[in-house]
Amino acid sequence: MSESPVTRAGGETDRARRLAVGIGAQIRAFARTPVNVVLLIALPLVVVEGYGVAMEAFPQLPFMDTGTLAEMGRVNGAIYSVAFFAGVLGLFQVISARQADERLRICGYARSELFATRLSTVVLGSLVITGAALAVLSWETPPEAPLIAFGALALAALVYGLIGMLVGAVLPRALEGSLVMVFLVDFDDFLSSGMLDLDSPVLTLFPLHFPHNLFRDAVFEGSVAPGEATAGVTYVLLTAILAALVYIRLTANGGELA
Amino acid sequence: MTGARRFRVSLEMGLREYARTPVLLALLIFLPTYFVGIFVYVLPTSSLPIYVPGSGQMMVETVEVYGALLIPLMGALIGGIAGLFVMLSATDADGRLSLAGVGSGTLLAARFTLVALAALLAVGVSLGALATTFVPESIGPFVFASLTVGVTYGLLGTLAGLVVSRLAGVYLMLIAPMLDVFFFQNPMIEEGHWLETSLPGHFPVEIAIEAAFSGSVSPDRFGPALAWLAVAGALAGLAYYRTLKA
Repeated sequence: MSESPVTRAGGETDRARRLAVGIGAQIRAFARTPVNVVLLIALPLVVVEGYGVAMEAFPQLPFMDTGTLAEMGRVNGAIYSVAFFAGVLGLFQVISARQADERLRICGYARSELFATRLSTVVLGSLVITGAALAVLSWETPPEAPLIAFGALALAALVYGLIGMLVGAVLPRALEGSLVMVFLVDFDDFLSSGMLDLDSPVLTLFPLHFPHNLFRDAVFEGSVAPGEATAGVTYVLLTAILAALVYIRLTANGGELA
Repeated sequence: MTGARRFRVSLEMGLREYARTPVLLALLIFLPTYFVGIFVYVLPTSSLPIYVPGSGQMMVETVEVYGALLIPLMGALIGGIAGLFVMLSATDADGRLSLAGVGSGTLLAARFTLVALAALLAVGVSLGALATTFVPESIGPFVFASLTVGVTYGLLGTLAGLVVSRLAGVYLMLIAPMLDVFFFQNPMIEEGHWLETSLPGHFPVEIAIEAAFSGSVSPDRFGPALAWLAVAGALAGLAYYRTLKA
């Protein structure tokens, strides 16, 4: 039997309301711990300026032909802070939501709605931290193309937000998940940062490879390489599809992946 | 039950808790091996000028420089995260054990030993993976330095676990070792920022670099490295006692 337009419209309103309630609850849960809110502001400031100060003392490296070392440090710090914040946020979103989502499923929430709620919160968090990091960066190193820089930085945050969700779904324990995220973000950021004269095809598989290149170009050159942008967006979309499949599978199995 | 026996039982319980999660043990072995392996694989074969304490400037292969920095970093990252979660998971149980008569000093010693074992495992596994490419000149002081920075960050992790939330603690324990060990203490820097000498990684990393690239290590650096360890231990111990009393 097909749904009447009125029923369908009612269902969509219901769905939108449930989505809004879910996102609102997540935001309240985050904001209820003041340290989290302080970190949202302090983290980009400490990391961007910390990287800038630390790299300022490095000797000039022959293969680094854009910007001063302090500027490069701040650019790397901005990418690192957003990837890291979004990654850990994604991880804890899924871990803390595991049992709650199971109960919400019983109450009638669709699996796709639950995923959309978690994803929306991660996306929202990613965009807020991206804005904060870009604002801190712009203070000493204003990007040549701010909008493109925002887009590249948001790509870094989104890809790690999604990876965090994936890790949280596969390894739903805080200690194990945090360990994986620590290693992934730290090493990916360092190897993609342009601080080393690397030439290995393996590097293009790293999640931050394309966002790093795009962000550096946007900040120092004011340009965007369409091929890199397409690859970066494709990477995020593929990660989103994978995260959705794993998450939906997880909630379909009572919180167990297998 | 004697204090020593209680310590042994508390430590054994903590170890059993970790042994019950084989995924964690697998990760503690796999992650350092995998990432040291990736570094060794992708780093260029070029040489870099570095400043070795006591020996001045030296030209060293890139993989050796970053290899020597990676081991203390692994110790600090894993030690820090282990310290954070040991305290987060143990605080409630320790409160009950304390009421049941187990001394808080015994409990604290058991938790700290657990953190030190995690750092030791990280350092041992990473060094094993690096040994396929590079072996430090003086292995004893190098391991001591890596373990010292690992345990210092482990203790700072326990402090974070007692003072801030889990999410905030993870953020702190991810950023601090990376900034300190990999950037501020990087031996490519000749004249560092004033902050460099005030950070917990300074003296241990100096010992590690000296041990990695010169045959002998100046004994002057051991005192300040251990002093940092003692300060971190005292702060973590103080926070722990306050939590138990609360």
